[in-house]
Amino acid sequence: MILSRLKLVVVVSLSLAFSSVLAWARMPSNTDADSAAVKQCVAAWEDAWNRHDAHATAMAYVEDGEFSSTTGVPSHGWKELEAHYNEIFTTFLKDAHRTDTVRSIRFLTPEIASVDIDWQMTGARTRDGKDAPNRKGLLTWVVTKQRDGQWKISIYHESVF
Amino acid sequence: MISVQTKAALAVFLFLTFTAASYRAQMATNRDADTAAIKQAVAAFADTWNSHDAHGVAMHYVEDGDFTSIKGEPSHGRKELEDHYTTIFTTFLKNAHTTDTVRSIHFLAPDLASVDIDWLVTDPAAPGGVLRKGLLTWILSKRGGEWKIVIYHEQSW
Repeated sequence: MILSRLKLVVVVSLSLAFSSVLAWARMPSNTDADSAAVKQCVAAWEDAWNRHDAHATAMAYVEDGEFSSTTGVPSHGWKELEAHYNEIFTTFLKDAHRTDTVRSIRFLTPEIASVDIDWQMTGARTRDGKDAPNRKGLLTWVVTKQRDGQWKISIYHESVF
Repeated sequence: MISVQTKAALAVFLFLTFTAASYRAQMATNRDADTAAIKQAVAAFADTWNSHDAHGVAMHYVEDGDFTSIKGEPSHGRKELEDHYTTIFTTFLKNAHTTDTVRSIHFLAPDLASVDIDWLVTDPAAPGGVLRKGLLTWILSKRGGEWKIVIYHEQSW
């Protein structure tokens, strides 16, 4: 009887110790590898955007991702995000091309980072179809690390200079 | 006769259920308190900004806080932040007044939040009295019980 209680205590203690070691091992995550993976997330998003693939652009976000436009108009979650990108890719941005350059990455935790990205755009039109001047500004994202090691966009803000 | 193992398992189960329930209740209470504390931090920032106290505004940031202007110009750390605010408060924003209204709070972790704030800067000399209108987007961190700005971005439209 005492032996089985002892076994229970040993099993509980071992599992607690094992999960602490796991948590500790994950903490000092490889920042270089994560920086590279964050840059990869930005490059993949830019590529999807330049192919005007609304679905792939939305899938670079987490499922409940938040987007806010240069004039503060929000879209929330994959469905709204894809609808938003569908709208811009078939109207005033249908011939637009963008270039995104990571300016800085600040890790807030090993799994959450803030990323500043300089952006430029050519080929945009005004809402009434006339050529618009080239645009540039800053994208400011919060990205989060997923279970598969990929980083996705949790919060997207953009500004125009 | 209930075996010792069954009793032990039941005790562990009850303990875990109770702990989970009280943890969840505690989290909800903390979340409400943190939401209120974040709104308070935003209001305190606006008050300090409106008294044009450059040192006071810089102190709303963490020691190594990051600021980026609407033109993308950065200031990093309290010294650069205070210099930046001293410049704007003694030049083009010396008569400016800000009104900051929290639009949304998104908790990234219990002590980390992304906050969107509608932003209106007025100046009696500006056309229509409005100098700037847009969105402030901050990352706040809870340090020593206080919410401070880690990253400050602003956009104007």
